Order: sequence, then structure tokens, then C-alpha cells
Amino acid sequence: MAKKLMKGCEAIGEAAIHAGCRLFFGYPITPQNEIPEYMSARLPQVGGVFLQAESEVAASNMLYGAAGAGCRVFTSSSSPGISLMAEAISYIAGAELPVVIVNIMRGGPGLGGILPSQSDYFQATKGGGHGDYRVLVLAPSTVQEAADLTQDAFDLADHYRNPVMVVGDGLIGQMMEPVEFKRSISPEELPAKPWATTGCSDRKPNIINSLFLNPEELEAHNWHLHRKYQDMAREIRWESWKLEEPVDVLIVAYGTVARICKTAIDTLRARGVKVGLFRPISLFPYPSEQLSQAVEKAGKVLVTELSTGQMLEDVQAIVAGRKPVSFYGRVGGMVMSPEEIEREVDKLVAS
Amino acid sequence: MPTPIITKDLCKGCELCVHACPEGVLEMSKEINAKGYFFPVVAHPEKCTGCRFCLLVCPDTAVQVEAKGKTTVRTEGLTPKPFHYCPGCTHGVIHRLVGECIEELGIRERTVGVAPVGCSVLAYDYFNCDMSQASHGRAMAVATGIKRGRPNLVVFSYQGDGDLASIGMAETVHAANRGEKITVIFVNNAIYGMTGGQMAPTTLPGQVASTCPLGRDVNHAGWPIRVVELLQSLRTPAYLSRVAVHDPKNILAAKRAIRKAFKYQIDGVCFSLIEVVSTCPTGWGQQPHEACEWLEQNMIPYYPLGDVKLPEAAA
Repeated sequence: MAKKLMKGCEAIGEAAIHAGCRLFFGYPITPQNEIPEYMSARLPQVGGVFLQAESEVAASNMLYGAAGAGCRVFTSSSSPGISLMAEAISYIAGAELPVVIVNIMRGGPGLGGILPSQSDYFQATKGGGHGDYRVLVLAPSTVQEAADLTQDAFDLADHYRNPVMVVGDGLIGQMMEPVEFKRSISPEELPAKPWATTGCSDRKPNIINSLFLNPEELEAHNWHLHRKYQDMAREIRWESWKLEEPVDVLIVAYGTVARICKTAIDTLRARGVKVGLFRPISLFPYPSEQLSQAVEKAGKVLVTELSTGQMLEDVQAIVAGRKPVSFYGRVGGMVMSPEEIEREVDKLVAS
Repeated sequence: MPTPIITKDLCKGCELCVHACPEGVLEMSKEINAKGYFFPVVAHPEKCTGCRFCLLVCPDTAVQVEAKGKTTVRTEGLTPKPFHYCPGCTHGVIHRLVGECIEELGIRERTVGVAPVGCSVLAYDYFNCDMSQASHGRAMAVATGIKRGRPNLVVFSYQGDGDLASIGMAETVHAANRGEKITVIFVNNAIYGMTGGQMAPTTLPGQVASTCPLGRDVNHAGWPIRVVELLQSLRTPAYLSRVAVHDPKNILAAKRAIRKAFKYQIDGVCFSLIEVVSTCPTGWGQQPHEACEWLEQNMIPYYPLGDVKLPEAAA
């Protein structure tokens, strides 16, 4: 398929259709409205259903119902909306249903603002709702990667019977880049889901449920989920950029911030500064081993993100005191420039 | 000669069958069953006319009736699992009616039910079809997801008053307003049963509950919500009806309404919601037969019975 110039939000929507998804439930919230708008026009053309729900609470429970009935289904929202979905995501994880959720993050807390942010890292990677659960979290840094990861998200959700969240920010949602959809599958070609509530014509009734009143059963269920989250380690994705040789400063950044870092690194390297980038693509599971190895060949570590230091805590745990870890964050919708990154790296090199 | 047949170990001793029998066929036992309850015994079989009132009011399908060489059986729309509900709780009656409609309409193999949070949270154990449990108040959103994803399925939700009319009111209004082709069984017993008898959106004025110990004060908590009348104001076509399950006649009418609600869905006509005015003997602190009388005297005047909206009448 030829490359097409698309907005990130639209590419995400089109990727879902190429993944065989024919159902979208969502509620308007800035800065991700292009996804439901795109789906409202596009899904009827391919025999799908777009439904604007009365709230994110309802939309996420529609996801639960449709996923339970064996349909590929997705929603998109932005930070406050994801908070409203947190209850349903917990139920979806508990009932082991495959859904895809896109969070185009904006600044918080509360109503916050509508500009780019990465301040939902904790919410995304540590569960977000109540109970011991995790969702698989993928963080694209280009429109092409947003499309690819969205398609992958559906396969991963089905494989693990677990929610998969694609996290971006307003930058990736709004920017236009050439994108190519490398594969396409129709709903009819998707593997059967014998556990789903499709009608019990040739089997005993199926039940979709997250209630375990017997504590022994609930404990067993929790450990079963835990093992599943551990199994997800095989889905770890990351990018090592200009880390072939040892570096004085190793920058750790994800999503659009990583792009800004690449620009800064090019400038710094032109000046002879030995600096490289480690970019986690899967935020849960986190590429801990890979980062750990990269840290071995680095003098200092600089974590930079659009938060006051959330991924920082994971990086600190991985570095475990072996190297000094610094932090540079912008928040509230403010985005760092490449020059700011250069300045931070220069400071570390000089100190 | 017709005769009631009692499965004594299913019985919870509510005595509703004894009170319902117009001929005095049944009496309570002097011994207890495996659950520790007294149970009905057929003391005067010669008086039985085969009216089945005992079967109709039994909340535990513990009573079947043999007549003309045939014996009634628990519907295939229900699993064999005994209900967990309190003695005399009408959830069991409503479960049976829904199960019978599913069986009689021949839709069991393409029906998906949605269980709520509340006393009927375990409904997925009792309906003999695919089931999905939902979070509190979201059953109609879950049902919407199922139905929109698989329109050929018959989807129903089974919800109490706290679930449907309090925490889930937004989902209720919007599912009805979208005209989702689903069937909603709304059990209104004017109280939060499972959590211990707190005030519900449907608790009557002056009715005592654990969070309104002096009785519901309408100046403080507002008036009880009449759900079907509220939904009636929506322009989208729907079948809305209110029924009760406190006596055999009303139980039969309730079944007709539930059946009609499923039929509208099967025919792709409209959203349907049947409000079933019900008892909560434990939460109300009454004997089961007293609760039925209380329902008739107090709930029906505030919650009038009958069809409130038919899709054919919609503009």
C-alpha cells in the first residue's frame, strides 16, 4: 500500500480498521476528537458501528460488553476521560477481555489543560484503577509507529485477553506524517474466541465475570493474572539510538519527547558530545534489562519527560544507584525544546 | 387428581405458597429440611384444584404441580442451581418468569444476559444462557456493547433499583433514548437489599431504611423516582410497563409483559423495560406474606401498574 499523509489521530483510527476492528465507542474530549470523528465517518463504510456514548463511563462499559461478545473493539480518550474509564478497565482486566484504549494525554491534574503531556505514566503503567492488574502500554513516537502499534495492540489484546493502551500526546495526535498500513485483516479472518458470549447454541453457557467471592479463588485468579503480566515480558519493545559506543550521557525518553531528544542529540554529537538515547516503546512491560545494559555503557543518565518525574522512578529503580540519574521535565502542556535538552546534557558533561 | 409436589430441600420456608393456596391444601411441616427451614406439606390433597398458585408464588421453584399425568418442571431457561436469595424474596419469581420466557420463545441459545451489582449480582449462575456480569449501574452500557457488536443476539439486563435508577441512571436514560434493542428487567423493591437495607431512589416517602431511620423525608432526599414514567417522556419509541409479583394474578401479568418485551426485541422493534414491583422481606423487616400485602397497599398506589408506553403509540 502506498504511503499516505495522515494526522496521527486519523492514522490510529485507520489502523484499527486494518486490524479488523469494526466497533468504536467513545465520548468527545480534546485533544483526541479526530479519532471518534474519523471513526464516525469511516466505520459505516466498512460495515462497522460507531456509537457516541453518553460518557466515558458508558463508553468503556460498552467496550466491556462488546469485547465480552468476542468483537474487536476500541476507544480513545484523553486523560480525564481515561480516569473515568479506570473502573471499567479494572473490570475488563479482571474479566480478561481484549480491548484497545488510546490515551492522547493532556496536562492534569483535574481538568488541567488540553496541551501535550506525559503525566498519565503512573496511571497507565501501574494499573490505574482498583485491584492488582496491569495493562500493556505502548508509546509511539511517530505517526507510522502509532499506526503500527495500534494494529499490534489488537493482536496483543486478543493474545493476552487483556486491555492494551496506546499512549500518545497532542503532538503525535495532531502532526501529519506519511503513513503506510503494512497489513490488513478482515473481521472474518480473526481467530475464534470460544470463551465469548456469542450464544450457547453448541456449548454450555459462557460467563464473563470478575467476581470471585471465594477468597481462595480470587487469590488464584490474581496470581493467574500476575503470571500473565510476567509473560508479557516477551512483548518488550525499545529503541537504542546512537548507543553503539559508550556515551557520557544516556538520555531516557519516550513518545514525542524522544523525537525532541534526537534533534538535540544530533546537535550535541556535531559538537562532539557523546550522548545517545534509550527509548522505551513498551512502557509496560518496561524494557528493564535492555536499559540496564545501556546504563552499563553510560557515564550519567538523564531522564526527560512531560511530567514532574514519573518514568523517572522506574529508571531510578533499574539504575539502582549504579550511575547518577538526573531529571528534566516540563509540565502543564509546556514542551521542552531541543535547546533545553542540549543545555541539560551540557550541564551533566561539565559537572 | 392434581397435586403440588414439594422439593423440600429447595424450600426456604417463606410460606408464600401456603398463603397463596385458595383451598388450604398446604400446611407447614413440623420438621425442618436440610437448610434448616420448615417446608410445606400437602395436608389436604383432595382439595387441590390444580390452580398452580403455589407454583407461581414460590421464589425457589420448590413447588411443582402434577395434573392430568403431567408434572411441571423448572424451566430450561434456568440452571439447576438453587437461588441464594433470602426466604420469600421475589427475585426468584422474576428469575423464573424470565427463564420461562426465554425457553418458550426458543431463544436460549442466542440470548445473553447482563447481571448487575446488587442482590442479583450472581444472576449469571441462574440464567441458562451466556451471561456477562457488569459493574454497578453499567448493565445497559454493557448490553449496548453486546447488542451493537452482535445484533443477532437477544440481550437483556437484569437490574435493581439502586443499580438502574441511582448509579446507573445516565446509562438507563441514554440506552432508552438511543432505542437500544435490548430488554431490561428492572426489579424495584424500594431498598438496597444486598448492602443491608439502605434508602434507594425508589424508597417510599416515610419508609424506614437503614440510612433513613426516621423514614424517607422527601424534603431532604426528594421523592421516589418513577422510572417508567420518567422514560416515557423520551420521544424514542419504547415498550415500558410496570408489573408486580406479589400475587398469582400479577405474576401471570408480569410474565405476559416480560414475554412481550422480549418479543419486541426479537422483532427488532424497540427498547423495552419492565419495572417489576417486588418485595424485600428481609430489608423491610416483614414476613414474606406481609411484604406482599405491604407492596399492594403502599407501593402500587405510588407505582401504578400497567403499560406506560407502547412503541406503536410513539410519534
